[in-house]
This record gives sequence, C-alpha cells and structure tokens, in this order.
Amino acid sequence: MTGMKLGQYVYGNSLLHLLDPRTKILSCLLVIFSVIITNNLYFLLFLVVLMAAAIISSGLSYQLILSGLLKLRYLLLFTLVFQGFLTPGETVFMVGKLSMTREGLILGLINISRLVILFLGSMILLMTTSALKLSAGIECLLLPLRKLHIPIHNYTTILSISFRFLPTLFEEATIIKNAQKSRGAQFDSSNIVVRIKSYTAILIPLFEASLVRAADLGEAMDSRCFTSHPNQLRLNRLQIKRRDILFLIPMTAILGAGITISILL
Amino acid sequence: MTGQGIEFVNVTKHYKDSSQGKTPALQDISLSITKGEYVGLLGMNGSGKSTLAKLLNGLLKPTDGKVYINGLDTTNIEQLSEVRRLVGMVFQNPDNQLISPVIEEEIAFGPENLGLPISEINRRINWALQVCGLEDKRYHAPHLLSGGQKQRVALASALAMLPEYLVLDEPTSMLDPAGRKELLAHLRVLNKEEDMTILIISHNPEDLVQADRLIVLDHGSIFLQGTPREVYANAKMAELGLDTPAVYQLINQLESNGYPVPENVKSVRELVDYLCLQL
Repeated sequence: MTGMKLGQYVYGNSLLHLLDPRTKILSCLLVIFSVIITNNLYFLLFLVVLMAAAIISSGLSYQLILSGLLKLRYLLLFTLVFQGFLTPGETVFMVGKLSMTREGLILGLINISRLVILFLGSMILLMTTSALKLSAGIECLLLPLRKLHIPIHNYTTILSISFRFLPTLFEEATIIKNAQKSRGAQFDSSNIVVRIKSYTAILIPLFEASLVRAADLGEAMDSRCFTSHPNQLRLNRLQIKRRDILFLIPMTAILGAGITISILL
Repeated sequence: MTGQGIEFVNVTKHYKDSSQGKTPALQDISLSITKGEYVGLLGMNGSGKSTLAKLLNGLLKPTDGKVYINGLDTTNIEQLSEVRRLVGMVFQNPDNQLISPVIEEEIAFGPENLGLPISEINRRINWALQVCGLEDKRYHAPHLLSGGQKQRVALASALAMLPEYLVLDEPTSMLDPAGRKELLAHLRVLNKEEDMTILIISHNPEDLVQADRLIVLDHGSIFLQGTPREVYANAKMAELGLDTPAVYQLINQLESNGYPVPENVKSVRELVDYLCLQL
C-alpha cells in the first residue's frame, strides 16, 4: 500500500484545493450534465482543454492522471471502432464487408471525449478534496432531501465510517496476507487461477473480522446514544467565500452557454 | 431505588442460546457502587465480567432483577439515553470503538447525539482533549495514533458526554506497557480530581492496584469483595488462579513471616519507604 494512487487526495494550496467542496461538487455535476446533453464536438474539446488547465493549475501530477487514462485505452478504442462501424453514413474505408463511416467516427470521437471529461472531472474533484470535506459537502447538498423523510444522516454516517475504516482494513489485509504467505499461499504464482484462489484466503478472514468489528462498533455507538443527527461540527466548518462565488459564476455561464448552444443547434 | 449510585438488585442474566442446562452468565448479583468510588472487577474468562459491564448502560437487559443507575431503571426505554449519558463506556479494542475519521469529530459524536449546541460541543471537545492530554491530536486521523493514544481518545469521547460513571472493559489488554501506564494515570487523576466514579475490568492485576475496592467474579457470582489488600490476602484467591500484584505478594510474604505492614501501603515504592523507615 505504498506510493501515490490515482484518485487519492493530494495535499495542496491551489485555488481548486481551497474552494468549498460544495462549489466543486456542483461544478462537477454541471460538467457531467452538460457533457451528457451536448453533442457538439467543439464544445466537448473545449471542456477537455478546460480540464487539462484545471489539472495543471492545481499542481496535480498529470503523469499519474495520464497513466490512469491510458488504462482506459481499450474502452476508448472500442468506443471509437464500434461507433465507426455501426453508424450508417458516408463510407471512409471498408474492412471486409464493414464500412467505417465519417458520421460514426465523429460520434466515436464525441463519446470518447465525453468519457475522458467524466474521468478527468471526477479525478480533479477527488484529488483536490479531502474525504472529510467531500462527505461534508455531500451531506450539506443532500440536506434538503430530509424534507422527503430520506434518512440522509444515516447515509452520511455510513460514508464517514467507511472513510474511518478503510485504512484499518488495509492494515488488516496486509497482516492477513503476510500470515497466509508465511503458510505458503501463492500470491505471486504465475498461474492466474492459483493467484485468484489464494486471494480468497485473504477475503474470508477479512470479511469475518469486519463482522466482529461491526458488532463492536455498534455497541460503541449505542453506548454514546447514537441517533440520526446532522454532523454539526463538520457542516459548521464549511464556508462559502468570495472565491467560491467568483468561481461558480463563470462556470455556470460557460457551461450554460454551451448547453443552450448545443440544444439550439 | 432513587438517588445516587449504581445498584444491582438480584440480577441474573441468561443468554438465549445457553439458557438450557448451562449456568447463567450472571447469577443473583446484588451490589452497589457509590459515587466517587474506584472499583476494580476481576475474574477468569467467562466469569461474567463483560456481561456485568454491558448491563450497566443497558446494552444488555437483565433476565431477572433490576439494575438502577442513579435510580433510573436500565430496562426503561425512555430513560435509556439518560442512563447511557450517565455511564460512559470504554471498550477493549481501541480500533473497534472509534467511529469518526478525525479525533475532533470522534469526541463530538456523543454530544452531537445529545443534541447540544455547537458552542457547547466545542467547549467539551477542548476540555476532553485537555483532560486526556490530546490537545495536539485534534485534527489527526485515529489510525495514525498509537494504541494508548487511541484508548485515550475513546476515554475523551466518553468524557465529553459528562458521565458520572466510567466503565472500562479491559481497556489495557491491547496496549503496550507505556500506553497502559498512561491510561491508568489518567484514570487516577479523573477519580481524584474530577471525582469520577470508575469501574475498571482487567485481567492484569497491576491495573487494579489503585482501586479502592475489588470485586472478584467467579462463574457468574461474586466470589470475594473488599479492598485490594483484603482480597489479595485471602487464601481463596489462589484457587481461582488469578495473579497477585507484586506489591501484595511482598506484603503477604512479610506478614506471614511476622512483619506487619500498615494498611495504607499500596505500591512497591511506598513499601520500600516504609521498610527503610523501619530499619
């Protein structure tokens, strides 16, 4: 469990790091929304550039993000190839009886840039926002749903407990892995079937231990009068500042304009 | 049954799956703990110690008999939240009782459940951090702390609800010696300076040396009760196979060889001082 992982929060001091999590979540949602609505290739390419600019300005490691994007290359390639062959239109070239069409290629490019934007957008959000701020932001944005009698605080408590226990579970998994290794489990076998089978020797004890943990945790929570309540302390730390408004206005303007144009065209 | 203190009246506890033919986890226990006391609870595995602890804040309900906390019945659902506020709990495994990803929120968890205003919550966080010596750990994540520190966080978060009784179920069994000493020192300060009533359960006899009173459980019944000095001088203790703390081993040896030791000697250092004065 060493080294930097894709999507993991990276400490920083850039504008994107300092923004309120709600601003970032809303902007991210706006981007997702406009990406789904629009089918204007130029607007999408503009968004890709915008994402790239955001990554560079926030000082995130673009090598890391690019290598993550490269892992998606087959998905992206398939999107292009299938769209290209399956969309009827003006033939560019033929492979056997299948024809690659111009319309198909454009549609493929549009879909690829959609995927890339969604990927980059979520990476930027995750890597510039700490887990705690992220869940505070989500909790605050979901608060209105409480009026519909949806138990928001239970969900955010679940979210916050998972943030708390992920490192503990990783630690435990490492211990179990070493224990099984010392008894001859073949985690580095060249045979993939053997490797997968040896991983069940980690999963089962880990699952069992988690159940014990959950029971203990339940008692600890009960002992402290657990009731579903808003996480006041955390919400209290959230503050919309001037920079948030100055960020949201142009974001909304640009994306709103993009959406309107693509609907009108 | 009103007023102050903890009261067990003929409490019996059966677990559902073992009720037939087996001995109950606790059998006909009657005891009272007054405010300000420091009580140690000991016994072998399966003697019912943890069951007794969980009866105290209504995590378990007695099969027979009643448990009263300041006169409140633990089986009364309406009073349960007040009972749980009065009785703070610290459990054995430091990892399995911390709920929040940040220390500050961990301590705020109890007070937030009580519905306190944010200013009061902040005040309590500051106080609890200070009492437990964790001021510099406010924004840390629990998994980055040592076992002893985690256990002190658990203690701080119990204290933030301003309980009158503090129940610790084998709090030291997963700590290293340094962490153990730290925790015990904090408990002594809480008992002496904040007048906190403490009930500590432990396997380690050295944890219980500072208690005012020891209660020894065996097979679900109270086997012995008294000051540590009385309990460890009792010949019946050897039958149970529980270890005797070093200081009481020494005292017992001295007394059986005809050298009386006064009652107020409670640690090896005090014993050494006393002996030096005699020489």
